[in-house]
Order: sequence, then C-alpha cells, then structure tokens
Amino acid sequence: MATALVPNTDVAGMARPAGELDVRRALAPYAGPWNGRLAAHLLRRAGFGGTPSEIASLAAMPVHQAVDQLLNLPAADAIAPAGSLYSLSAAIAQLFPNGRPKDVDDMERRRIFEQIRMGERDSIISVQNWWLNRMLATPAPLQEKMTLFFHGHFTSAAIQKGVDPQMIFAQNQLFREYALGNLRDLTWQVSIDPAMLIYLDNATNVAKHPNENYARELMELFTLGVDHYTENDVRESARAWSGWIVNRRTGAAQFVPGRHDDGTKTFLGQTGNWTGQDIVSIIYRQPACAMFWANTLLNFFVYNDPEPALVSSLANAIRAHDFELRPIMSMLLRSNVFFSQRAYRALVKSPVEFTIGTYKALELTEVGLQGQRALTQMGQVLFYPPNVAGWPGGANWLTTQTMIARANFVASIVNSPAMTDASWLQSVPMRSQEAARVLVERMLLGDASGSALAQLSAYLDGSNTSALGVLSPENFQERLRGGIYLTMAMPAYQLG
Amino acid sequence: MNVMNRKLFLAGALSGIAVAANTEHVFARALGSAPLPGLPGADNRVLVLINLQGGNDGLNCIVPHADPQYYSVRPTIAVPQGDVLGIDARIGFNPAMRSLKAMYDKGQVAIVQSVGYPDPDHSHFRSTEIWQTAAPDRYEHTGWLGRYLDDAGLPKNNLFNGVAIAQVLPEVLVANQVDVPAIAQVNGYGLIGDRNRAARTTYTQLVNDERLPFSSPYLQHVVEIEDHAQKGSEELPKLIAGYKPAGAYPATPLGRSLSLAAQIAGSNLGTRVLYVQHGSFDTHISQKATQDRLLGELSDALAAFYDDLAAHGNDRRVLTMTFSEFGRRIEENASRGTDHGEGSPLFLVGGGVRGGIYGTYPDLGNTSIGNVRFATDFRSVYATVLERWLGRSSGPILRGSFPTLPILA
Repeated sequence: MATALVPNTDVAGMARPAGELDVRRALAPYAGPWNGRLAAHLLRRAGFGGTPSEIASLAAMPVHQAVDQLLNLPAADAIAPAGSLYSLSAAIAQLFPNGRPKDVDDMERRRIFEQIRMGERDSIISVQNWWLNRMLATPAPLQEKMTLFFHGHFTSAAIQKGVDPQMIFAQNQLFREYALGNLRDLTWQVSIDPAMLIYLDNATNVAKHPNENYARELMELFTLGVDHYTENDVRESARAWSGWIVNRRTGAAQFVPGRHDDGTKTFLGQTGNWTGQDIVSIIYRQPACAMFWANTLLNFFVYNDPEPALVSSLANAIRAHDFELRPIMSMLLRSNVFFSQRAYRALVKSPVEFTIGTYKALELTEVGLQGQRALTQMGQVLFYPPNVAGWPGGANWLTTQTMIARANFVASIVNSPAMTDASWLQSVPMRSQEAARVLVERMLLGDASGSALAQLSAYLDGSNTSALGVLSPENFQERLRGGIYLTMAMPAYQLG
Repeated sequence: MNVMNRKLFLAGALSGIAVAANTEHVFARALGSAPLPGLPGADNRVLVLINLQGGNDGLNCIVPHADPQYYSVRPTIAVPQGDVLGIDARIGFNPAMRSLKAMYDKGQVAIVQSVGYPDPDHSHFRSTEIWQTAAPDRYEHTGWLGRYLDDAGLPKNNLFNGVAIAQVLPEVLVANQVDVPAIAQVNGYGLIGDRNRAARTTYTQLVNDERLPFSSPYLQHVVEIEDHAQKGSEELPKLIAGYKPAGAYPATPLGRSLSLAAQIAGSNLGTRVLYVQHGSFDTHISQKATQDRLLGELSDALAAFYDDLAAHGNDRRVLTMTFSEFGRRIEENASRGTDHGEGSPLFLVGGGVRGGIYGTYPDLGNTSIGNVRFATDFRSVYATVLERWLGRSSGPILRGSFPTLPILA
C-alpha cells in the first residue's frame, strides 16, 4: 500500500528501487551510497538520534564499521544509577515498629504508607531521570534502545501491586544485560524477575488456585501472539508456573516446591511434568515464536506492516541463530531493507525518541525535569506503560493532544537558559537563507521541501511580516529560537 | 489475516494510507446513508461512553445477594447480604454505589445483565479491541463509533464531531473519514510556542509541507493531526468558555473528565460522541478495596454529571453507557481477587432511559468454564443505542443485524 507513494528517485540514492521487495537481497548487507543522512537514520533507529558530530563521525567510516561500533556494548553490571533505590520491604521494616504494619492503628498505618508512597515516587523520578540522561550521554545507544524496546515488550509497571523502584531498576538492568543476548534466556529470566512476578501475578500463582495472568500474557504478548495456543494451554501453563513467590522480606524471587503443582500437564501438545522453564523451552520450539520475534523486531527497528516474506526470511535467520540477538541485530541494522526507501522516515518517533533526539540535535547535555514532565504530556512515562501490552506506538503516538505537547516541549526548551550556552547557536550566520539551511540540516538532515526552506528563511529575516522588524544582531538570536521551533514543527521531524 | 500481522495492519491502516483502499466502508456508507425516520431530536443528542478498563467484576457490582452459591465461592470478597443496596429479591448495587442507586430509584438507570459475546476472549488486549470495534469474529481497523461518525454525514469542517477525553485516541473512535481529537484536559490543550503572528503564519505553512524528499506511510497522518491540533486548540477554549458547571464534581480523574464532557456536550460544538475512561478494574489481587473505590468514584461522578447536565437542561439529550472488556471469574482466587471472566452487566444512564433491569440474571450454576455465561450480545446494546438514540441504521455499522432492547424511549 505504501509502495505506490514511493517516488522513483531518492535524493540519497538508497538501495531499494520503488516497488516489490526482493526478499533474497533484503537482509543482505547494504553496499550503496553512505552519507550523514543515512548515518542519522541508523542513529535514530539503533539509538535516539545523534548530535551533528556523532552523525558526522559515523558517516566518516564505512557503513559496516559504523554498525559494528553500535554493536559494541559495555558490560551492563558496571552501570549503576545515581542515588539510592527505594525498597518497599526495607521501608516497611524500618518505618513500622517491629516491621509489622498490623501493629499500628489505621490512621498511623495510612500515614506511614503515604510516606512510603512519596518515597517511592521520588525514587522512581530519579531513576527515570537517570535513564533519560543515560540515553542522552551513553557511548553505546543501542544498549539503551534495546533496553527501552524490552521495557515496552516485557511490560512491568512501577509502584503498582508492590513493584518498588529497586525491583523495577533490577528489571531494567536485566534488559540491559540481555540487550544483545539470547531471547529464550531473557524470557526465562524475566519470567522469574520479581517485578514481573508481581506485576502479572505469577507470585500469587499457587497449585490450589492457579493464577493465569502471566501464563496468558507470556504467550499472547511476549512470545507467540494470539491464535497460536488454546485456553487449555493457558490453564496448563499456569499450573506449570505455580510455586514462584517474591520474598516480602528480601524482595527476591523464590521457588516454593510446596506451592507448585507437580502433576502432569499437556501444553502445546506435549505432555509431562512441566515447570515454568519447560514452558519457555516448549514455546521457543514453536515455529510461531521465531515468526513473532521477526515481526516484532521489524516493526520496531525497520518499518510497520513488513511483508510476510520478509518476516519469514528473518524468522529463518532467528531460528538458525537459536534466538541469539547479536547476530540478528547485526544483520538487520546493516541490511538493504534497513537502508531502503521504504524504511526511511517510516516510523513515528516515540516521545522518548523525540525528546532525547531534540536534546541531541540542540547539543544540550542534560535532561531535566522539563523533559520528564513533557514525556507525560506526550504519552510515554518510563516505568508506567499504559497496560501489559506496552505502548501501542505508530500512529497511536500522534493525537492532537500529544502533538501540542511535542510543540510545547520544543517551545520551552528553545527558551530555556541551557540554550543560551549552546555555542553552535552563536555561530549560525546572520543571513536568513543560510541560517534556514543550517537549521534544516541540523534538525531534519535536509528533509524539507524548497518551499518550506523559503518560508523558514522569510520568517528569519522578517520579510513575511512587519511584526519582527528589521533583522539585527540583537533580534537574530531570538528569531533563531523561533526558527528552531518551526523546524521541529515540520512533519518530517515527527518521523523516525 | 494472520493474527501476527494484525497489529501492523492496524498501524498501517491508522496512517490513513490503507484507508482509501478499503472498499468495505464505501459499501457500508452507501447502505447506511439514510437516517432512521421517526426519531426526532436525534440530531441534538450526545452519547458518552465510559470504558471501565481492566474487566469490571460484575458480581460484586450488581450483587446476586440471594444466591448461596455466590457466598460459597467467594468466602472473602463477597458483598455481605446486609450491605447490598437492594434492587429486587435477587440483586442489588454494591454499597459503594449509593449515588447511582439513587438515580436508579428515579428511573434514570438501566442495567443490562450478562452482556458479552460468543466464544469470549480472555485477553485484555483482544477483548477490549472486540468491544471497541464490535467485531468478535474478525479484525476491524475502525471502531463502532468511528463507523457511526463516518456514516452520520456530519459537517466535515467540524473538528469536534467526536471527542475522546484521553491522552491516546481509543480504537472505538478510529474512523475512516473523521479525525477525532484526544483531549486529556483543556488546560494544556494549546500551543505556547507561536505567540507572535509571524511564527503562527509560518507554522501553518510549514506543517502542511508535503512536498518532501522522501515518502512515509505516516506523513499524511502527521500533517492532518498537526493541522487539527493547531485549529482545534485555538477554537476549543473559546467554544466552551461560556459554560459554567452547576455544581462541584468529585476531585477524581473521572470527575474531571465528566465535567469536561458536560461542558463540551452543553456548548453547541456539534459533538455526538464522547469517550472517557476509568480504572483499572483488573483486580487479580485484593479486589475489594480497589473495586469498591472505583465503583464509588463512578457512581459519584455520574451523579454530579447528571446534576450538572440537568441544571443546563441537557440531561435528556445526553446518554451515558458503560462497558468493560469482560467480567471476572465467579470463584475468587487465592489472592482475594478474581481472574478474567466473561459476561457482566453494563449501565445506561440518562433522562432518556427507561430505567430498570434488562437481560438475563447470571446463573452461577450454569457457567462457561467458571464464568458468567453471556446472554445478551453487546452488539444488541450497540444496535439499540445506534437506532434508538443516535438515529442511524445499525446494520451497516455493526456489519450485521442485532435485535434492539426496549431501553430507550
């Protein structure tokens, strides 16, 4: 459907001609022209966009070296957030006499729990801030991009049902650790992650009263998709998962054999005395699992609605690599289809991508509370996905309300004190045509029409209105800020 | 369609590109183009849809207080018989719903029991989608109220034919021809960055830039939303400025949403459908405290809403309907909660309603794998609202024929 709109010529001369997908070549390494525009595309997808110098540095090396550099990740366990992480169990132990909420009266209990809620909230805000700044400053953006991808995929939300900041950060680190790891192993690890055990109720799943919540979402949203299992498979899987708890005192996951149903279960056609780990193994032997992941990865990193032949082709590769992400991502990020016309600007920027990308384009070095508040208005609060299905993404990011929030975020950031220190702003030539070109190059990599450039230029020198007065050194800096706002309001800037 | 590709198909469809190729809707529009005769006043009516997100437990909402089985399978979470706000010998309201009970006693509330659909899905995601698209047996990319908006021949230049009071546009209001704004709150629904006229003029021209050196399936969508955001945010505050709420609303998110809904419905914006949401009712654990609070908030916000509407003479032209993706398991689980179920009751509220009990009482002895068996198809309720309230033929919108209920005068 979209191919009909692809023009026959493309300014960057990207590999794929308009029209049909050549599935044999789609995943083969791209060997076409390489420039800043494509380097920025790679950085938007494998990271959160780039500063002009980050883009230039990738553009200066061969495409394959650029991808290799992105795949080079530091060890996750060396990374710790600033500040302490709030632990619910520790707070209860500390704030209640003998650590027992039951021992105090209703009023006092409510007061202490309110205090705990505030402590948790402050802690979450600081973890959010830490993560956003890490996305902005990390030398390994793909590590954070994969972490964000998994956060939206294997969804858990904070401060619900007792998922405390310490747990949600531990889950976040798990995603970081498995950023390019094995999907099957990650699925098992996340299944017994305390935040997940609580969020999807597997921690209360006991032989006598199985709780099906996790068993269902594991298949529906995490690994297979609907129509690849029956209601009976859900019930049998729930039995296999019974027995896991989160220790209230330590906050750690624990398997309690007495709570486990060790009877025979028939799951996806296989009968045995299955445990949760067996369930994960059986799921990953289903052909639908590799198809599911192929589809999910193509949607997140390449384009929406990928051709079935492309999905199958990537699924074959996923199976061949036994669900190891490093070779898969390595193939995908350097492929012809990744650098094709169909993929270019074919995704809607998520609010996080929009926000971090804006800081980078403006060479601002710190995400403050301003950026965090804006994310709420744009509809993406880290650690608070809307529901277990994560953020729906695509066109769902864009409503009139969230579009206004995007524009208002840019308006506030261009008028912030931090912009005064942005040295690049001082060096923009005070000639409106050149200045317009500088802005469009920096924010949009040139992706604006000639008429848009002319409009922007007319705004900058005030020729389309008497309201701005004659262009002078005094008012030029102010107009440039207006110009940045207008450039970031252009449709192309919403697209990743 | 392969289910795995469904989400992607939806994403593509939402971009506005796939829409033109959808011949189905052209056919539907041709069939549904005539308003139903003999429904005076339909042009001036508003439907408010409240999504009780997460799956509201019907049995602790409309309580079968005379059924011993209810008490035996819910030893810790059943509503004690003495607390129930009795409706008849068999059922009554949860005690948190005192305000709604008072409206029921005045004949302004209809309760439809055991609503659901055949072969129920127990996934939040899919079942919510089913209720919103009114398509249990296939995948639709438009919502049932989106199709109503497409069908109703409303003025194209009106930006507020439908309004979602939400951060994200719900699927129920996704239409082919009509763009529905999602407005979480009016405060904040405005551009702060283009104060001077020069920037504003330039902004308008730049956001309409479609002659770009690339192509994207989302480009047209972005341009349209930016355009509507700019125009709508300028117009909305002016349009609703004259409306003053007649009384105080509860200081809850739902109270604020319904206050805005009353303002929009009472300000001659031409709005036909409004969407608000409330939740989460997904009470797998310690259900009682959460559900009681949510039901109390629902009941109190609805009472304030109708007091306000009545003071402005709008209570008879605004109909409110609730829905939830499913009811919950009859038997409680080990966590003093309930798991995903099937049939459950829904409410229709307003001056135009024939108050009372409709549908079939839940039979806890004849269940569907431990869940309340559905007796009334939700599409029958939708058909009733479409035909008897909004004045449109329901067949083309619901893609089938469903018997209506005698709920609306």
